[in-house]
Amino acid sequence: MTVLSEPDFTPLAGDRRNKARAIRVGLIGVLIVAMLLALGWGAAGDTDVIGALLAGLGVGEVSARDMTIVWDIRMPRVATGALVGAALAVSGAVLQGLFRNPLADPGLVGVSAGAGFGAVAAIVLGGFLPLAIREFAGPYLIVGAAFIGGWATTLILYQVATRRGRTTVATMLLAGIALAAITGAVTGLIVYWSTDDQLRDLTFWGMGSVAGATWAKLITAGPVIAIALISAPFLSRGLDALALGEAVAAHMGINVQRMKRLSIMSVAASVGAAVAITGGIGFVGIVVPHLLRLVQGPEHRSLLPNCALLGAIVLLLADMVSRTVVAPAELPIGIVTAMIGGPFFLWILLKNRTMLEG
Amino acid sequence: MLSATDISVSFGKRPVLNSVCFTANAGELHAIVGPNGSGKTTLLRAMTGDLTATGQTLINGTDIADLSPAELAQRRAVLPQSGNIAFPFTVLELVRLGLHAGMPSRAGFDPNLPQKALTRVGLAGFEGRFVQDLSGGERQRVQLARVLVQIWEPVLNGAPRWLFLDEPVSALDIGHQLIVMQLARDYAEAGGGVVAVMHDLNLTAMFADRITLLNAGHVRATGRPDEVLTDGDLSACYGCALRTNTPPPFGGKWILPQAIANRTHVGA
Ligand SMILES: Nc1ncnc2c1ncn2[C@@H]1O[C@H](COP(=O)(O)OP(=O)(O)OP(=O)(O)O)[C@@H](O)[C@H]1O
Ligand SMILES: [Mg+2]
Repeated sequence: MTVLSEPDFTPLAGDRRNKARAIRVGLIGVLIVAMLLALGWGAAGDTDVIGALLAGLGVGEVSARDMTIVWDIRMPRVATGALVGAALAVSGAVLQGLFRNPLADPGLVGVSAGAGFGAVAAIVLGGFLPLAIREFAGPYLIVGAAFIGGWATTLILYQVATRRGRTTVATMLLAGIALAAITGAVTGLIVYWSTDDQLRDLTFWGMGSVAGATWAKLITAGPVIAIALISAPFLSRGLDALALGEAVAAHMGINVQRMKRLSIMSVAASVGAAVAITGGIGFVGIVVPHLLRLVQGPEHRSLLPNCALLGAIVLLLADMVSRTVVAPAELPIGIVTAMIGGPFFLWILLKNRTMLEG
Repeated sequence: MLSATDISVSFGKRPVLNSVCFTANAGELHAIVGPNGSGKTTLLRAMTGDLTATGQTLINGTDIADLSPAELAQRRAVLPQSGNIAFPFTVLELVRLGLHAGMPSRAGFDPNLPQKALTRVGLAGFEGRFVQDLSGGERQRVQLARVLVQIWEPVLNGAPRWLFLDEPVSALDIGHQLIVMQLARDYAEAGGGVVAVMHDLNLTAMFADRITLLNAGHVRATGRPDEVLTDGDLSACYGCALRTNTPPPFGGKWILPQAIANRTHVGA
């Protein structure tokens, strides 16, 4: 006689939310360590980092030199790296949810190129704007233009690559290549018209680097990124539902059109602001969400915050590498992320080959 | 009550539905049958608000065009004929997506609902499996569990809720076909409304309270099973000789293809 067993009612089977919560706690810890490491990492040795940090908060006192190194040189760089890393990873995850496709990345599909075009146009052509507008927009002009550039490219990309709510990988990547080529060409044309001063700005900016980070730059882009990061979790229910298709998302009560518009705005804001201060940094947006989805599942409510944390950590570590390998010179951080992210992307491609060819 | 009047849909220049009228009552399982391409899915999509169609659909007296997606989601749930899933969800995670659909907050939900729904469709113990690793029939039942979770209570604040099922048993074995059809009946008997697109006429005859027979974008017949399932209408619509019968213990209609008359059983 066979004994029938009760159906397995273990309450946590298939539930990865606790895992996601544990990962978040771990990532917060790692991020703090990474930030402290990055603050202590630099050409100027024997700096009392902890002392300077405490002094900045009004506890104790250290030399003016240490204060300057920690608060005026390293801190803006660390904060920029963390914010930009978070922005790139979260915008990657949102873009992948929007396109229902794990291979979407702001760098690969032309969004960064579009934002870069906006930024270059603002740097070079901004001089032609009426003085009143220039004074009004001030340093926000570049961030605003990068946002508009990124937004327009995402919108065009979505129109071209999506039919009846479906995006094929091939169309998406090819449309991205075309858009990047077009915006790249126009950007090149504009660079031709730039003055020597502007050219220096452009070269510096185009390297994809956090080396030029200053408080002044961070103040223009930081709030935009912060707003995008804080509002991204509100998209999570819609992005989850969209994974089942546009029609199903609508059945589940999502206002699909509004949700797509908001997602595109969110991606454009994050990428635009990030590109405006650091130039294009690739692959963070694809590697980070992919790794996290692998271990904690695709639910966006826990995926997006963890992407922000891991994105920040990855960029801080990449920045430390970029400052070390060819010291005393520095490698643009974009080269470091591409060196790690490129092979990783190929690995994802290989793993998903059957799905992509189908 | 669900009532659709003068629904017309064209794709490009080609008309797919011509002034179709459709009424279903709460407390009943209403099946839509008809040959491939007759417009069953299109009618369902028009009534669930997927498509902009001419005509009007009222759900419990309210025009669906006047309801927000969230308000609609609280009143009806839809099982599509097919679908693909972009990311690797576990069974539990996927079913849980239906949990707060259309609701403003996550509060006040029974956390065990996904597991209850999975048990109902015969998938207890599948919570931790990945959806993409399941068989076709298992996947169809997971989606049904998600849909059930969305409108678990058949009646909410005195108003019936509506289940729209597009071929809910097409991928299922005979045992699970019966389980799912019984589940749909139970939902109707508890006061909800069920509209199901069906291909299996005998299963339809066994479980449906009402049937609408669609052919080439027109309603050919609508009513109780014994009114709709007639030799003439069925044979004309499906383009093959069909004969209905009423086997004694069942008493309802039973449909047999007449091609069977020209064949000898292999074992005979
Ligand atoms: N999006 C579309 N664009 C063009 N034609 C369509 C579209 N959707 C459906 N059709 C056509 O409309 C007709 C009715 O389609 P529908 O999907 O409603 O059929 P159905 O009765 O559900 O068939 P089946 O039994 O095969 O599911 C078909 O001829 C189909 O080719
Ligand atoms: Mg159909």
